[in-house]
Amino acid sequence: MNATKNYRSSMRRWRGVTTFSASVLAFAVAAGPIINSFRTDIDKFAGTSSTKLVHDDGGDLSGAYTYASDYSSTTELLNAIEDLGERMNEEGSVLLKNNGALPLSKEETQKVSLLGFSSYYPVMGGEMSSDLSENVGTDADTVDFVQALSAKGFKINEGLQDLYRTLEPQYTTEIDNRGMKSLYKRNTPPAIDGTYSSKEPSRQEMDDADAEWTDYLKESNVILVTLARGAGENRSYLPGTDGVDASQDLNQTDPLGLSDDERSLIAAATESKKANGGKVIVLLNSANAMEIDELKNNDDIDAILQIGLPGGYGFYGVADILSGATNPSGHLADTYAVANANAPSAQNYGNYPYTNNNANLVYYVNGTLVEAENIYIGYKYYETRYMDCVLGQGNASAAAGSTGGAAWNYDNEVSYPFGYGLSYTTFEQTLDSLDVDPGNKTVTAQVTVTNTGDIAGKDVVQLYVSTPYTAYDREHGVEKAGVQLLDYAKTGTLEAGASETVTIKADMQYMTSWDSSSDNAAGTKGCYILDAGTYYFSLGNGAHEAANNVLAAQGKGIADGMTEAGDAALTAAWSLESLDAASFALTKNGTPVENQLEDLDLNYWMPGTVTYMSRSDWAGTFPKTYENLAATEEMLACLDNDTYEISADNGDPSGVVFGADNGLTLADMKGVDDIGNPDYDKLIDQITLEECMIRTGFGGTSTKPIDSIRSPEAVQNDGLNGIYSYPLGQYANTDASTGDPCAIDPNDPNLKYTAGVMSNATVVGQTFNKELSKEFGEVMGNYSLWSNLTIWWGCGTNLHRSQYNARNHDYYSEDPVLTAYQGANLVRGGLAYGCLIAPKHFAFNDTEINRRGISVFMTEQQARENELRGTQAAVEDAGALALMSSFNRVGVRNDNSHTGLLSNILRGEWGFEGLLSEDYIMSPSYTSLKEAVMNGVTMSANTGDNTMKAVSEKYPYWTVKNVSRDAALLAALKQAMKYQAFALANSNAMDGYTPATHVISVRTSYDNFILGLRIVFGLLVFLGAAMYLRSDRKRRRQTDVCREDS
Amino acid sequence: MKRKISAGLFVTALSVIADILGFIYYLKNCSTDSFSYLGVHPVIAGGIVAAIVFQVVLIVVGMKGQPIWADLLPVATSVSLILATVNFISTRVNSFAAIITFEYSAKTMADLGSAITGIEICLIAILISIAASFFDITKEA
Repeated sequence: MNATKNYRSSMRRWRGVTTFSASVLAFAVAAGPIINSFRTDIDKFAGTSSTKLVHDDGGDLSGAYTYASDYSSTTELLNAIEDLGERMNEEGSVLLKNNGALPLSKEETQKVSLLGFSSYYPVMGGEMSSDLSENVGTDADTVDFVQALSAKGFKINEGLQDLYRTLEPQYTTEIDNRGMKSLYKRNTPPAIDGTYSSKEPSRQEMDDADAEWTDYLKESNVILVTLARGAGENRSYLPGTDGVDASQDLNQTDPLGLSDDERSLIAAATESKKANGGKVIVLLNSANAMEIDELKNNDDIDAILQIGLPGGYGFYGVADILSGATNPSGHLADTYAVANANAPSAQNYGNYPYTNNNANLVYYVNGTLVEAENIYIGYKYYETRYMDCVLGQGNASAAAGSTGGAAWNYDNEVSYPFGYGLSYTTFEQTLDSLDVDPGNKTVTAQVTVTNTGDIAGKDVVQLYVSTPYTAYDREHGVEKAGVQLLDYAKTGTLEAGASETVTIKADMQYMTSWDSSSDNAAGTKGCYILDAGTYYFSLGNGAHEAANNVLAAQGKGIADGMTEAGDAALTAAWSLESLDAASFALTKNGTPVENQLEDLDLNYWMPGTVTYMSRSDWAGTFPKTYENLAATEEMLACLDNDTYEISADNGDPSGVVFGADNGLTLADMKGVDDIGNPDYDKLIDQITLEECMIRTGFGGTSTKPIDSIRSPEAVQNDGLNGIYSYPLGQYANTDASTGDPCAIDPNDPNLKYTAGVMSNATVVGQTFNKELSKEFGEVMGNYSLWSNLTIWWGCGTNLHRSQYNARNHDYYSEDPVLTAYQGANLVRGGLAYGCLIAPKHFAFNDTEINRRGISVFMTEQQARENELRGTQAAVEDAGALALMSSFNRVGVRNDNSHTGLLSNILRGEWGFEGLLSEDYIMSPSYTSLKEAVMNGVTMSANTGDNTMKAVSEKYPYWTVKNVSRDAALLAALKQAMKYQAFALANSNAMDGYTPATHVISVRTSYDNFILGLRIVFGLLVFLGAAMYLRSDRKRRRQTDVCREDS
Repeated sequence: MKRKISAGLFVTALSVIADILGFIYYLKNCSTDSFSYLGVHPVIAGGIVAAIVFQVVLIVVGMKGQPIWADLLPVATSVSLILATVNFISTRVNSFAAIITFEYSAKTMADLGSAITGIEICLIAILISIAASFFDITKEA
């Protein structure tokens, strides 16, 4: 009996072993397809590679490398990045106020006190997007403010450093993500729907920590006070007191305004100055325009320097400005309003859910954003309303929207205007000539800039245009900004007394207005027009000065209510006798324009709902808040994202060729920059339908190899402050025998360097220096060559519609022209090295609140003259070959499904020929794959196994049987692959490739591990089962013996 | 022959409870805003339900003395749970990444939390089911 029990016990053990082994085996088997789905990401984290290049011709790589780096080593490359980062903040920091306190003398740099915890833990990048890549142990380690000041020879008050070390718990924020605790010592923006909490230690807390701390300021009496506001993706401020943590009770009326703790910090500094002498300088460490009128008006504050988010090296530049080693030349990329909450755009900035969204969660129907301010964002509002106040038109002086509730008055509304910035020297600009050439569609201005001070420096020439606001406009609902930036240029360094003549050749299309009611060349409605009337071109240190100059030219003066007298000599007038609706009826590539975005207007769906702001009646049209909207049945029919029906009625599918044997590879097309070349069609005829369907459906992380045309994998990277998704060495070629001029030694000290280190985009905008932006593109292009990272989602061309968008740090400006040219030059710089730098997010990604699914509404004029104009030059002028669409809806239609925006404007009017990726949309419904492909999207951001089964599981309608019925969809699939192939053929992804090169899959260490698990535990299952059966047999025999014995 | 209850009954019952809890959390997670688009996956739901059925059958049969074919049930249970859990995780990885990065908010973190809890329970169920496989439901008195 005991023996039988022992055998049963043995069976239990072997059953357990078999169960355990079978479980591990099942895991190892199930993990296979999953690993294939996430292979690129796994390789990223594991530092492995799953593919390898094979050269059929034995490795003849002569001519395989098209692009050459400007640098001979990673050290040189990193030094160039570091140098550019420093210069970016030298030229992109904006001196807003200076009573002569800056620059500091050598002696003063030796007695610096840093007040404010952000002096020690500054905001150097955004949260998530544009997060700073902290590099340590490389040839270009990143530095914070204290490190940069020390490196530049400043001596910093150590007592205060100790004080702030003691106070760390006061400003440390702990974020607990299910046990994953992160500690933030920097200023952070609120989460969506959250409120801003001030972390600045109070005066009491400082006194409690060290009662004598103010004594430290006696000797070190050059006091730098840093005030910061964080930035971040998927973060948002909210206007007014709703956006502030009320429990703090800090007399803070707005998250971008000051709290009493910050005021007490300023007071401590100014009191010390009164008692001990010295200087008080405020640094604004923010990408969002803070409300700083009280600082401007505080005479005890000597200087204010806006430094943005300086990245890993920008503080070197800030230090140089403070010491006078460099002369500031930045100008504001945004209007600094007295109260941001009174901006028209702020009236519709928040979380506005549809009232009938509950049944549509799967479709991401989550909210609305009605941009009722029309074209009047930023300075286009403030300066236009100001000009109308002076001109006495449009009820501009009414109280609507005014700060304080009295009559609207510019001085009460704006602290520092767009384009404003000071220097340590003075400049004089003269408008030598201005020539409007309608034939060539250019405006050419010659401006002589003279340094009239005694310090060398750079100046910015800002050319504005004031277009006539006519009776026709009033009648047809066409809006006009009082002044708008037309173009700009930066001088070289001008020594004292030196002059430079700058020539600006501006694009006339940016002074046109969109008229939705106009006849056009297409025989429909909608066209860019130039009104009859007088056009004034003006120079100015900012939009307000330009506006004053225009008003002066129109005969207005201080008596008419101007804030200060203008200079008519800095303007030029040009007249147009009759309205011109013909000159810009065709785009640069000859495509007729017409209304494409009528459904972007909420009134299209719900007539009479929205009153868009008009300068014809500022008071009567000042935006109200549009909330609690219920989608109509017609809107819901679009909101379900299913707007294209796969059908056999869309032509003859047999005419669409797949899988042809034309003997071409993508390497044959290297450098062929005409997409009309018939070889591209022959190449794409080789591709199979399955390849098209898998690659469009699973386009995330990287473009995977396509066997039929030997298209390589091109890795995608995020980070608008530099390529930061992968370290330099992740995909770098460490095999010098390949002939790769950018091969890296496997022991290179910079392999772990990541390049998310640049000053944020707003700083790049504030440089007003196109060349500097181009340099950024070039140095990242070089980085792309060394790191083998080709695609970079790195050019933020959304506008700062509202200062409350905590994502503003990723975008250049509130102005479309500044955005367009800084972006276009970034793209251009990268393309010279085969790096595909993509503008994003196209288009109208104006808020992070409900961004995935939000319905954005506006007029077509606003869309075309603001946001779209911000991206247009990157495509039309710089020839961008990559672009990312956006999360939001265009009206009620998924952005990726919007034919007017993507097919007709982007691809049609502008002629975009590159790859177009969706943003990080994971929902198969909201991916809208069939609709997206029909509209020229080349890839979704999803990933998955390289099989039809996997892609069809994700998108049930995406089967070969179903799709192959629809000739139009088949053609669109091929066209999408053609765009992608064209972009890659003209990129450095093809470096190292010849027509004889192909990619093979190789086993990685984790593949081998999984295989090992399968073998070992497969054997263990077998062994366990065998031993179980053996024990059972013995048990049976023993049982039989027992029976016989009994 | 008289039989008395063995530790296997309690461990298996505990595993069934974990299975049921995991299933409830899975279904709950399928109805959250962040994961509703994934629907109810047949392999995940089927795997957990199959595991419950296998273990209930094992308990019922085991109470009367465990026939040899019933010894396959613990193996099938664990394998079913493994397949369900692996799919539970893999179908949500992209959304996890999206929530932690692009869609971070209290609401999405709550959705993420429910998914992680469901996965944790399933993992616990796997461990218990493997442990249970080393025990019989009953043993000879």
